[in-house]
Parts: sequence; structure tokens; C-alpha cells
Amino acid sequence: MLGALVIAGVFAVGALFPHLLSDYAMQIGFRTMLYIVLGEAWNLLAGYCGLVSLGSASFVGIGAYVLVGLLNTTPMPIGLAVVVGGGGGAVLAALVSPAVFRMRGLYFTVGTLALGEAMRLMMVNAPWFGGATGLFLHVDWPSSYALYLYGLVLLLVTEFVLSVAAHSRLSILMRAVRDDEDAAAQVGVRTFRVKLFTFMVASFLMSAAGALQAYKLSAIEPYGMFGLQWSVDVLAMVIIGGMGLRYGPIFGAILVIALGELLADYPELHIAITGIILIVLVRFAPKGLVGLAGQARAWFAGRSSGAGLA
Amino acid sequence: MSTGKPPADNLIIETRGLTKRYGGVTAIDNVDLAIPRGEVFGIIGPNGAGKSTLVGLIGGALPPSSGSVFYEGADITLLLAAERARRGIGRTYQIPRPFLDMTVAENLQVPLYSVNPLISRRHAEEMVEANLLRTGLAGAAKQTARNLTLLRRKRLELARALMLKPRVLLLDEVGAGLVESEVSELIELIHSISGDETSIVIVEHVIRIVRECCRRVAVIHVGAKFAEGRTDDVLADKEVATIYLGTAHGEGKAEVRHGTVQTESSVAKAASSEVLLRLEGITAGYGQARVLNGIDLEVRAGEAVAILGTNGAGKTTLANAISGTVALTGGAIRFMGNDVTTLPSHMRMKCGIAHCMEGRRIFSTLSVEENLLIAARGVDAAERRRRLDRMYGLFPALHERRDNPGTALSGGQQQMLAIGRSLMSDPKLIVFDEISLGLAPIVMDLLYKTLTELRSAGLTMLIIEQDVERAIDIADRACVLEHGRIALSGAASLIRSDTRLRQLYLG
Repeated sequence: MLGALVIAGVFAVGALFPHLLSDYAMQIGFRTMLYIVLGEAWNLLAGYCGLVSLGSASFVGIGAYVLVGLLNTTPMPIGLAVVVGGGGGAVLAALVSPAVFRMRGLYFTVGTLALGEAMRLMMVNAPWFGGATGLFLHVDWPSSYALYLYGLVLLLVTEFVLSVAAHSRLSILMRAVRDDEDAAAQVGVRTFRVKLFTFMVASFLMSAAGALQAYKLSAIEPYGMFGLQWSVDVLAMVIIGGMGLRYGPIFGAILVIALGELLADYPELHIAITGIILIVLVRFAPKGLVGLAGQARAWFAGRSSGAGLA
Repeated sequence: MSTGKPPADNLIIETRGLTKRYGGVTAIDNVDLAIPRGEVFGIIGPNGAGKSTLVGLIGGALPPSSGSVFYEGADITLLLAAERARRGIGRTYQIPRPFLDMTVAENLQVPLYSVNPLISRRHAEEMVEANLLRTGLAGAAKQTARNLTLLRRKRLELARALMLKPRVLLLDEVGAGLVESEVSELIELIHSISGDETSIVIVEHVIRIVRECCRRVAVIHVGAKFAEGRTDDVLADKEVATIYLGTAHGEGKAEVRHGTVQTESSVAKAASSEVLLRLEGITAGYGQARVLNGIDLEVRAGEAVAILGTNGAGKTTLANAISGTVALTGGAIRFMGNDVTTLPSHMRMKCGIAHCMEGRRIFSTLSVEENLLIAARGVDAAERRRRLDRMYGLFPALHERRDNPGTALSGGQQQMLAIGRSLMSDPKLIVFDEISLGLAPIVMDLLYKTLTELRSAGLTMLIIEQDVERAIDIADRACVLEHGRIALSGAASLIRSDTRLRQLYLG
């Protein structure tokens, strides 16, 4: 809880003193917050409830399309459009849940991957959404500062939701479903409801992030908004940071974005290095960097107490 | 579902015509049970009889194919597991399934918060503490379930089920894998839980638990209820002993058997030949559960050795340790004088050890012939053809169906295929693990006839078998395992008449 406040506070400082930040810093800040939101949502799904999804792109995309559609056809304020975009994601999650929840473990993962691809193909081929060229947003470009503020609000909401979810009684039910779904049912947990609730909350957050991204881009097309890259990036961030840990996604997102910016001139190198980090972490520190830090702390604590005894 | 008389009030669980089929296999066949309130009721039966399936059907983990389940007089056949749990049916698993990455206290909070999310924190803490105390886990509240030993995991599962304040508890093989002193602790715990408030259904292989806890038991055999009655009567029953010790004892089945097996014992011949396999104090296990506790065994070329013992005694683990699918934690294995302890299983196969695994393990996407050929890779074509012809000679049924997928066969044919496949590597020693499991007696006769032929041809074999009579018939020597040790061993003919054999099985 404290850590989440600190992180949100750091970003809030940027909002209070905009003149401290260059336009470039402001944009990086927005992107970092967006990725933290996506990572947190994915961590809620996979780390807490065991629903390892490769379908993040479907929800990023649906949020983007809902926002553009709403802003182009109605005079809706942007904040509300982001919320409704998030709602679109939650509705999509509820609609597909009877199908994807029939699958477990790796099958669920593959099923959600297929969902993302199916959504992209539908957007390309259906006649109503601009096809492969996509849609343009007919409202003014937002300033970097305005985007930053929207991102900050979404981040604060996300941190609040996650802190509540991680410390509530619900989190115990979610983790029970993650550890053993059948055994959870056998002690009275209505597993479908728990999974559905988690899936809808996570999808809401992902779609809201997608909506903000669409607002930033002002032009969306299916290959970008429903691209597999979203799903993979989010997964990589959370695994690097530490899956199932409260601060895993935050550190993962910051690290991945920082790495991307440092190596912006060498995109191939960036992807390769991210890949190597991922392999090394999965092999040697399956709980990610945050997990590694926790282990190191426990080790030092153990050593000092051992010394005290001697 | 089924019609008939209204369910009686005094019953906590009643099943009527309960049936479960998997594809063509009937795991539970038309079982009627009536379990009175406040009773500790035992369900026993040999391996593969369908006992765990029955627990799944009552607990709601499995939907029945037909028939119904009543709980306190209400039909609950259509209710999901979670709803049954909320009404007061708790269960534990044969292999404990606590929520491994959560603490002990959190494990107990799961049922509590799922049923009563608004319970006050103080009340919740009191309930958790009371149940931890009751199950002997006090002080372990903050430990992660993953770090618990097997017995404590079982206690945790029980504590977790108790959080539901269950009116009936289904305990699936709680005694499996525990040593004698742990079994005693468990019996005490069961006594302390049972009462008017809580009825208990115990599905169990450890006969001591059944004897000391249950007033009445039912015997399940090949999916159907075979006998029911007072515990002492049932355990003393000849017929029940028969299904535990082997089909060959059964009336009517004996005639089919005669003249098929019973070759002259060749102990004398074997004793003079070289030692093929030597186990030197091997130990092995899974995680914290130690299954083999130091086994010494010598098998000479040409010998057939039967490995007997109840479920959970360590027979299959022994087979896996010999073939290399389970790593040893101690001891050594020598084969033809060479130390093979650290060799991976495919290298052991090259040395001449074949393993016909429990449950057949047929490759379902390969045809019958491909299943056979896969065990003879790297052999030249003429030799491969010769071996294939030999298998088809042994099992003509496989030749007829050689192009069918390996799993589109009857159970008996699949077992033939599994045996044939393990023979394709032309082994010097072959380990047969439960080849008669779930097969009709007439098919077993056929398989054992083939084994007799192979034995006469000089193949050395270890035969792991639930069907004691059959294994003893074919073997020169027999070893009976108990808790991962050899409790009894000697010439097969002597073991057969040894009274301790029956004791090891039925207590």
C-alpha cells in the first residue's frame, strides 16, 4: 500500500510541477503510467487469479475503438469516454468468459491468444470500423500535460483497486482459485464468479488504458491496437518485475520503458536485451526482480540474526 | 432422476443407482449406498475399484452418468461441488491439495470467506485458531503450505474442510503414505471429529484405520458394491479376501485358470545363474513423501520375481526406480555387474531393462505398429521386422489391428500392445507393472499365458501385481512390500501359504 502511494506520488509531482518536465519527459511519463496500468491489470489476472492471458490486445483494442467511436459520434467528455471504453472491455470479458473459462492453464492462455487474433481479424474485415485503415479521431490533439493528467488519474484508480484487491478477503479466494481450482470449489468457492469478477476488473483497466492510448494517437487501426505486441509486452514486464507480487508490474514497467528509451536508437538490440533478461530471470529468478530483492532481504536478515546469535 | 421411495431422514448420504462411465469404461456401476447420520462409514476395495470416483461423485467434482445422490434427504445430483460444499459436504484428496502458495491460515480462510464474506475479523481468527488447534497445526498458521510435510498437509486439508462446519466429511485415502505412528495420530483425530454433528465417510486402503474407526463398511469391486456390513464381518469374509488377494481365488473363475499357468518352479535353475539385477538399499520418494525406505533385492537371470503389497506400499515407485523414471535418493542399482544408478532411463533400456508401465501409456496418436516400432529405433530393418513378427505371433489381435490408433483398442488389447512394446527392445529384464489392472479374468488368463511362454523362453521378469494369486503362480520368488520395505520374501510357494501375507493385506 505504502509503495503504491510512493509511486503514484512520484508521478503526481510531475502533474503539480509541469514546468519541471520537458515535453519528452511528460510523454515518457504517460507511457510508463499506461504500461503500469496494463501490467497491474495483467498481474491481477495472472498473478493473483492464475488466469495467464495472452489476450491483453483484445481489451486494449476494444477500449480504443469504443473511445474513438464515442468521441466521433457524441459530444461525450473524454473522461467519461475512457470510463465507457473500460466498460466495453468488461462487457467483452463477460461475453467471452463462458467460452474461455472452459479452458484451463495453457489452454486458457492459447484461447485468449486466439481471442485477440479473432478480434483483430474481425476489425479488419467487418465493414463498420474502417477496416484495415482504421479510424481517425475527430477531436483536437491533447497536450502532453493533459494526457499526463489522464494517465495519472487512471494510475491512481488502478493502484487503489489493486491495493484493495490484494489485501481483501477476495484476494484470498482469487489465490485459492490460482493454486487449485478444483480444491477451491470443493471448499465452497464459486470459482466461476471469482474468475469472472477478476477478469472483468482487469479487462476494464486494460480497456481504459487502450482508450487513453487511442486518444493520444488520434488515429487507430486494427494491426496496432489489437496487435500481439501489447499482450507480449505486458507479459514481459510483469515477469521481469515479479508475477503475483504487489510491486512486480510497477518495477517491470519502469525498467522495460527505461531500457527502451536508453536503447531507442538500437531497436534490435533493445528487443534482444529484453529477451535475454527475460530468459535469465525465468531461469534463475522466477519471481522476478522484486522477488529477487525480497530473497536478498530475507538472506541478509537471516545472516544478521545468525551473527547476533553467535 | 430415479424414482422410488422418498429418502429417509436418518440418512446423511444416500446414492441410488449411481453410475459413472468414461467412454466405454464403467468406473462406478449402479451403486446404492445408505449412510446413516452420525456414523463413520468405510469404503474399501482393491486398487482401481472406483473408490475415488465414488468420492468425486458424492462431493460433486464429477457429474454422474446416471443415478442420483441425496444429502439429508434432498436430491443434490445437479448441484456443483461448490454448492455441495456450502451445504456441508467436505472432502479431502487422496494426494493432499492444499493451496500451496498460501499460508496455513489463509488456506483456512478460503472456505470461511467464500461462505461468509462479511464475518467479523475476530470471529474469523477464532475459528481459524480453533480448527488449527483441533488438527494439531497450532503454531503453523504463518507457514506456507508448500513447506509442510505430507502428514501436516493432510491435517491442513482436514482443517480446511472443517472450516465449512461440514455435516459429512469425505476422507479419500487419508492414511496413504503415512508411517504407523502417523496412522495412529490420524485415527485419534478422526475419532475426535466424528460425532452426531459430523458423519464421516472413509475411503481407505489402510485397513487399520477402517478397523479402528468404522462400524460398517462397504466393499467396492470393479465399480460395483460387492459387500456391505459390520466391519469385522466384512473383513473376515472369504469373498472379500478373494478380491483383495486375487481373482484366481474366486469361484467359477478358478476353472478358467486351470491349465493355463503353473509351470514347475525353476528356483534351482535360477539360483545357479548369474545375478542380473542387484538393488542395494535403494531409497526414493516424491517431495517429502519417502516411498522406498531401503530395498535390497537380487534378481538372477531367468528368474521371475513377484512384487506384492497393498496400494501405497511402493511397488510402482520401485518399478520406476529400476527403469530410471524416478531418481533415487540413496542406494545403488547394478545391472549385469555395472552401476546404472545415475543412467537416464533411455540408457537403461539400451542396457536391457524394459518397463511395461502401469496404466499402459499407449501413444494415442500413433498406430499400433508405430507404437511397437518406436521401442526398436536404431535397430536394423531386418531385425526390426523379425521382432515385429514375433510380437504379432505372440498377440495375433495386434496384427489384425496394426493400422488402428493405439488407443482405439479394448483394454486388454492395449495391455497387449504395452507388453509388446516393452518387448520390442529385446530386453534382458522386464518389469511388468500391474498388467492385469481393470481387465476381465479371461483376458488376464491370456496375458499370463503369454508371460509364462516368455518366462520359459528365459526372459527375466519382475512382476508387480495386485492380483496376488496370479503373480505367485508364475513367479519363482515373491517379495511383499510394506511402507517401502520388503516385509516378507521367499520362494513363491512358501509365500502363498504364509499367514502373514493375508495379514499384510487385510490387517
